[in-house]
Amino acid sequence: MTTIATARGAVRPKAQNRVLAVTRLQFVNRWTMFYLPAIILGAILLLNMAIWYIVLASLPTGTDVAHAEKGFQYTGAVFYIFIYMLVVAVQAISRTFPFALGFGVTRRNYYLGTALSFTILAIAFSVLLTVLSIIELATNGWGAGGHMFTPTYLTNASWGLRFVMYLCLFLFFLFVGSAIASVYVRWRAIGITAFFAILALLIVGGIAIITLGHYWTAVGTWLATTGSVGLTAWLLLPAAIAAIAGFFVLRRATPKS
Amino acid sequence: MDESRPIFLQIAEAIENDILAGVLLEETQVPSTNEFAAFYRINPATAGKGVNLLVDDGILYKKRGIGMFVAAGSRARLVAKRRDQFEAEYVQPLITEAEKLGITGPQLEDMINRNRAKQSAHPDKEQAV
Amino acid sequence: MTTVVEATGLTKKYGKFAAVDDASFRIEENRIYGLLGRNGAGKTTIMSLLTAQVFASSGSIRVFGQSPVENAEVLGNICFIKESQTYPEDFRPRHVFASAPWFFPNWDQDFADRLVADFRVPMNRRIKKLSRGQLSAVGVIVGLASRAPLTFFDEPYLGLDAVARQTFYDRLLEDFAEHPRTVILSTHLIDEVSNLLEHVIVIDDGRIIIDEESEDLRGSATIVAGAKSAVDGFVAGRDVIHREAIGGLVTATVSHLDEAGRSAARAAGLETSPVSLQQLIVRSTNLSESEEGQKS
Repeated sequence: MTTIATARGAVRPKAQNRVLAVTRLQFVNRWTMFYLPAIILGAILLLNMAIWYIVLASLPTGTDVAHAEKGFQYTGAVFYIFIYMLVVAVQAISRTFPFALGFGVTRRNYYLGTALSFTILAIAFSVLLTVLSIIELATNGWGAGGHMFTPTYLTNASWGLRFVMYLCLFLFFLFVGSAIASVYVRWRAIGITAFFAILALLIVGGIAIITLGHYWTAVGTWLATTGSVGLTAWLLLPAAIAAIAGFFVLRRATPKS
Repeated sequence: MDESRPIFLQIAEAIENDILAGVLLEETQVPSTNEFAAFYRINPATAGKGVNLLVDDGILYKKRGIGMFVAAGSRARLVAKRRDQFEAEYVQPLITEAEKLGITGPQLEDMINRNRAKQSAHPDKEQAV
Repeated sequence: MTTVVEATGLTKKYGKFAAVDDASFRIEENRIYGLLGRNGAGKTTIMSLLTAQVFASSGSIRVFGQSPVENAEVLGNICFIKESQTYPEDFRPRHVFASAPWFFPNWDQDFADRLVADFRVPMNRRIKKLSRGQLSAVGVIVGLASRAPLTFFDEPYLGLDAVARQTFYDRLLEDFAEHPRTVILSTHLIDEVSNLLEHVIVIDDGRIIIDEESEDLRGSATIVAGAKSAVDGFVAGRDVIHREAIGGLVTATVSHLDEAGRSAARAAGLETSPVSLQQLIVRSTNLSESEEGQKS
């Protein structure tokens, strides 16, 4: 039997290179991974700014501007970008998995390389959001008292903490996205349906248990004491679970044409 | 390229034909296996098999580091071989067909003589033997 | 000759349907193999199994002496070009050729560039917008320029026109002569590639029915035709691959009929004619069908 050592022209590609090759592959299309989400982020910001200016301009003279601005603190606009990250993750995996397999990549190396690319993406966007949040505070809410990147529940604490919170949120959505993508790649539409059905059951079940057991006050207290930073840190746990589960699901997936 | 006969045999025959026709002279180099393969658009291993057949038959020999050469005396040997094959390949089918058509022995002889005369009057350029 | 692939009792079932059924074969180093058979016979499944893209139901596979499943060392030395390869949306050919070297250590960029010119691939057009021929060309170029020690081509030239196909065969032979490697081509365009193949494996309904040197197969069968009684009398006791009848005339394809046998056939008043590789394979695979037809 010809072993790899003796086969003419055969090489032993280093393990590290193979994982990094997948990471590079994910970034070949910088539009889908980076530019497009950044543009969407910019668009949402501009949209929100337009809304703030319109609201402020429509206030009858003499009204307390500060009071109106207080309402801006509750915008959830920034969450669009996190949800979009989930979509990016699903697209990245479902589009590149069959292609990577065709290039002789093991599922393990594919997953590791992709996870690395998502981590890089999470850090990059966390930096972006942190910078934008600093600018936001410095310009007093973009000159309109807006708080897109610093709404109340994302604590106006130090930018360091904000960076950490963004990072946890991005990692959570990206890895939940990769778990969903893995389910899709392995079991296609049936898998996705089953996945969301089970998820819905778990959520409803959880709510039922909490309601019936009168645990809502306990939940409320826990939320209050943990605080925003703590909550986002807790998200790392389901993120890790999703990452690991996604790997095990992908391990037996095949590229269905 | 005949679809239904092994290619390596056809390659060997093609080289033999070239030797017989004087296109490939004795003690000159023949194209390499890869060159044959590229020319006939066949697998190099198949071309190699055809060449090796001729080496085994003593028609070609290998000069180390240079290539394949036509052996001395190969043309004479090929002529002898083809003469042996001539009977089976040409004469026997001729007779079988002639019998089917009811052509008698004397009529056959006449035909042969007539055609020989025609050809020597207008010599076929390919006649090398 | 050293073996690069060894499959033993390889089986792949989808429910009750066996796409590959107890296949055992060996692939030897640095030769061009043909994996032939009808559409749906199992060619793609076998290749997918050997490249660990699909998991076997039973049986064993050894590639370069190891199991290829999730084996980066083995897979890094394999290139599998599929007809149905999907590319990431928004990818353009230049993305494919730019990323290929990261995965194929033997990638030859100069060769790839020459092939892009040969096949006239538009480097900047979106993959989705490429014609079928251009898409096939992209796959073929990756397969050739990868110089992987074990390369599979699964009918990737279906979209190519006859001129482009000839270009592919020519480049393959040229490059194979200079950089020998193990190549496995699957196709149903048998006559076109028969000159390239050294060894032929024919698969029908998931089973391997022929596994021989192509030179041994060429001319190994003879068509014998004539009156029904004469033909049937002659072929009694011989290996008949295929039989067709129209009125009182019968055409039988007989395997391994030597010169003496052919003379005997002609003496019996029958017509003999040679059988090309394609005809041989078509008739061998049709046998399973006609046998089934006779049973029902």
